[in-house]
Amino acid sequence: MAVKVRIPTPLRQLTNGVDMIETPAGDIAQVLQHVCQKFDGMDKRLFKQPGELNRFVNIYLNDEDIRFLENLATVVKDGDDVSIVPAIAGG
Amino acid sequence: MALSDIAEQLEKSDPSLARYNRQMLWEPIGIAGQKKLKASRVLMVGCGALGTVLANTLARAGVGHLTIIDRDFIEINNLQRQVLFDQQDIADQLPKAVAAKKKIAQINSDVQVEAVVADVNHTNILNYAGGCDLLLDGTDNFETRFLINDVSIKLNIPWVYGACISAMGLAMVIRPGITPCLRCVFETVPPPGMNPTCDTAGVLGPTVNIVASWQAMEALKLLTGNINAVSRYLFSFDCWDNRYQQLNVAKARDIADCPACKHHNYEYLSGKFASSTTTLCGRNAVQISQPAGSKINFEQIAVGLKAVGSPSFNKFMLKCTINEGQGERQRQHELTLFADGRAIIKGTNDASVARAIYSKYVGA
Ligand SMILES: [Zn+2]
Repeated sequence: MAVKVRIPTPLRQLTNGVDMIETPAGDIAQVLQHVCQKFDGMDKRLFKQPGELNRFVNIYLNDEDIRFLENLATVVKDGDDVSIVPAIAGG
Repeated sequence: MALSDIAEQLEKSDPSLARYNRQMLWEPIGIAGQKKLKASRVLMVGCGALGTVLANTLARAGVGHLTIIDRDFIEINNLQRQVLFDQQDIADQLPKAVAAKKKIAQINSDVQVEAVVADVNHTNILNYAGGCDLLLDGTDNFETRFLINDVSIKLNIPWVYGACISAMGLAMVIRPGITPCLRCVFETVPPPGMNPTCDTAGVLGPTVNIVASWQAMEALKLLTGNINAVSRYLFSFDCWDNRYQQLNVAKARDIADCPACKHHNYEYLSGKFASSTTTLCGRNAVQISQPAGSKINFEQIAVGLKAVGSPSFNKFMLKCTINEGQGERQRQHELTLFADGRAIIKGTNDASVARAIYSKYVGA
């Protein structure tokens, strides 16, 4: 068991097409840290500056926006699903 | 009496309803819902991929009045997903709004369609939105979506957000004062170049159809007064990996301290964030200025531009000759993009053409 982090299509150019990675449990900050370390360029897409997410990207823990939980300090357990949902422009 | 009998009787008294038989048989719509649809006015902002599916579906469903605004012409690479257009429309060089109106007249001549060939922006959107029951998002850029969002709240008209790229889509119903608005959910627009667009990352026809059909379904519920059935979630569609999520955004209104729906400060409608365009006389070029604070990532923009040209860049600027269209409609524009987001687009004097190129390849 681990935490599953879903990478949305618009960010998969940074992950060589990988759509999901598993990270150890922890808090959201640690989980995202793990993702950013693994993929070059992800850091800029997710974070405005260290500790502050870009405001055009939302992070959901099992369908709940982390802004309504404890934000980056939200605890993530084994088996949880973390989704990165960027605003998208196309149409 | 069975509902089907009622429908049959009604069709006899009003033959114009016969075409909606299968829709009226669905009890939550019925005859009363059908009449509401006929009395409704909808503004369709943008008539590309999402817009054609929406306009097609709503026209067939019997919406009374549809205003369709779009600034663009049809290109051959649109036909893979823009369901209202065909090769003849390209040969006739029709603007999208005009071609859509023409096609809808053949599909359902009872629908009154107003076609507007224009760039929707903060100076004109209120003219079109006033008096509408619903605003629909068929745009391809954030600036216009946040503009629709402002108008929706100011005029107290619901709108349905939809967006897609490659095999992914997002959609949400915004009901002013009841649900969070788009700015509660996504507080700012990504800086230019930070997000891929359909013109740089591609898009699949089914993605468009799924997202726009979801929007159209919510539109039918709203217009027929079936408010309890309307979604209160942000819907996320990952059509390639078959992951569909209903994301809970209900509390976003309390958290976001939203300038638009909480403070009624309509920053997009006021023009504060509007990109401004200046035609550079005698140069066949248009300059687009971004509001201060835009930061440009040349590297990412260059990746996307490789589909249509050979971009080159240094620390200060990016240059790319963009080739679009084929045959008689082939067009060439030269994009020069500066680090602060300002761009000069050569090959046109038309601000709306320049804006379209900017939102396609730089994104904003
Ligand atoms: Zn809001």
